[in-house]
Amino acid sequence: MAESEDKKQEQGGQSDGVLEIKNVTKRFGPHVVLDDVSLTIEKGKTTVVIGPSGCGKTVLIKHLIVLLRPNAGEVYFKKQRIDHLSESELSKIRTHYGFLFQGGALFDSLSVAENIMFPIRQHYKITNWSEAEEVVKTKLAMVGLDGFQNYYPANLSGGQRKRVALARAVALNPEVILYDEPTTGLDPIRSDVINELVLKLQRELGVTTVVVTHDMTSAYKIADRIIMLHNGKIVADGDAEHIRDHPHPVVQQFINGQVGEDDLAVLRMSGTISQAQFLPRDFE
Amino acid sequence: MIGIIGAKAVRGVNSVGQFGRFAWQAFGACLWSSLRTGTYPLIWAQMNIIGVKSVPVIMITGAFVGMTLAVQAYGQLAGMGLEEHLGVLINISVVKELGPVLAAVMLAGRVGGALTAELGTMNVTEQIDAVKSMGTDPIRYLVAPRVLACLLLTPFLIIYADLLGIIGGAFVSIVQLGINGRAYWEFSASGVELWDVTVGVMKGFFFGAAIAVISCYKGFTCKEGAQGVGQACTEAFVASFITILALDFALVVIFKAIYDTFWPFKSLVA
Repeated sequence: MAESEDKKQEQGGQSDGVLEIKNVTKRFGPHVVLDDVSLTIEKGKTTVVIGPSGCGKTVLIKHLIVLLRPNAGEVYFKKQRIDHLSESELSKIRTHYGFLFQGGALFDSLSVAENIMFPIRQHYKITNWSEAEEVVKTKLAMVGLDGFQNYYPANLSGGQRKRVALARAVALNPEVILYDEPTTGLDPIRSDVINELVLKLQRELGVTTVVVTHDMTSAYKIADRIIMLHNGKIVADGDAEHIRDHPHPVVQQFINGQVGEDDLAVLRMSGTISQAQFLPRDFE
Repeated sequence: MIGIIGAKAVRGVNSVGQFGRFAWQAFGACLWSSLRTGTYPLIWAQMNIIGVKSVPVIMITGAFVGMTLAVQAYGQLAGMGLEEHLGVLINISVVKELGPVLAAVMLAGRVGGALTAELGTMNVTEQIDAVKSMGTDPIRYLVAPRVLACLLLTPFLIIYADLLGIIGGAFVSIVQLGINGRAYWEFSASGVELWDVTVGVMKGFFFGAAIAVISCYKGFTCKEGAQGVGQACTEAFVASFITILALDFALVVIFKAIYDTFWPFKSLVA
């Protein structure tokens, strides 16, 4: 009886979300990055998490795959609690995920083909190498980089690296793809290429997608749902229209890219530019 | 004041615990890797980087140790008319202590620094997180092959250091200092036992494992940025160096106790 009660507690909430975090708090030293955050990610939808730099977006997305463990709260994948699992137990769960890191995180000692082959080799015994090479070719063709198999990450541009990282992230045909700032550091055209790829993957594979970004053009283009984080808490949650018309001043300030009164006050307090100039004779 | 000391003590205990846990996981992963032939290519690759490429520098270290010992000890032994015993002094010092310890220190600098820098850079560029996110245990994939390669090849590198130390010592003693070659080798053979060589080589397993585990741990826990990686490399070398000296002392005590225990039986077997 007690065991069945425990099992019930291990189950997620009432919703049919594929990913769920419940009352998650994360601290780094005295600094609270996530403060009692609860969130359900629905299956087959694209959820975009926005917020200013340092507000905890990356920390949040890393909790969804338990690359970080919460100080308090719970994380669920398909109703199974995963935040307390051992690393070896998590390894099996993580094969259902694809994760695109901010800088790509390609293995620089491996070629593009070897990078994409990496997760496949780790989980399958490859006997037919020509078929495996065909899989790599298909994955690269999907991101428009077929022919780059023998290149090394150092020889690729920022946008190409992200596309290769995306091909690697989908190598195991994941059910969930997590993107950490996929368009950061790219020019508007390359950013749009990545946005189109996110949409294409979601449309063609029906995967559940979570994107962390502060690029509002990208967010409006790809999101079914937008969540805004501020000071470790969710301050807005809804579709693009809902976010555009949101009454919260922090949300309006962020989506319109306007500096806040607090920041302006700090700038006024910090003195004039001419005061900050110095002449070499000041040190003599 | 008391609060600061307390916080430092807690941090110290915490980091010792973390290292212990990491070392335990690393040895578990080594056992797992050694039982799976699929991981052997990774181990071979690390053996080439860690072991084969260290041979020249280890040989140079050994040769200079032997040659320096010959020059240093000759004056004192010649004063007592015991210069023909120089070989015993050089060879026993080289095979028991200086060969293993200096070879290990050289490895801590060459291999330990490289391991920490490589894994530290992987850590700060999220490559270790990427390994995890693809359902692979980074300790099995990244740490175990490096620890196994270091553990298995350090004894062989010590043999190279010993060999070149013996040759270097003999070269200076016989060719430069003019000691009778036959007497030199005869006294050496009578003074150095197989046990002495074995003890020196056995130390290599412990030194190799310590260097690899410490260096990998420092790489896995290094702080962000170029300064973080640099600091981790320095800490890895200092920690490896002190561990080599401490392990050397502990192993000498243990091997001496074993030798003293079994020495009386030697005459019965021989």
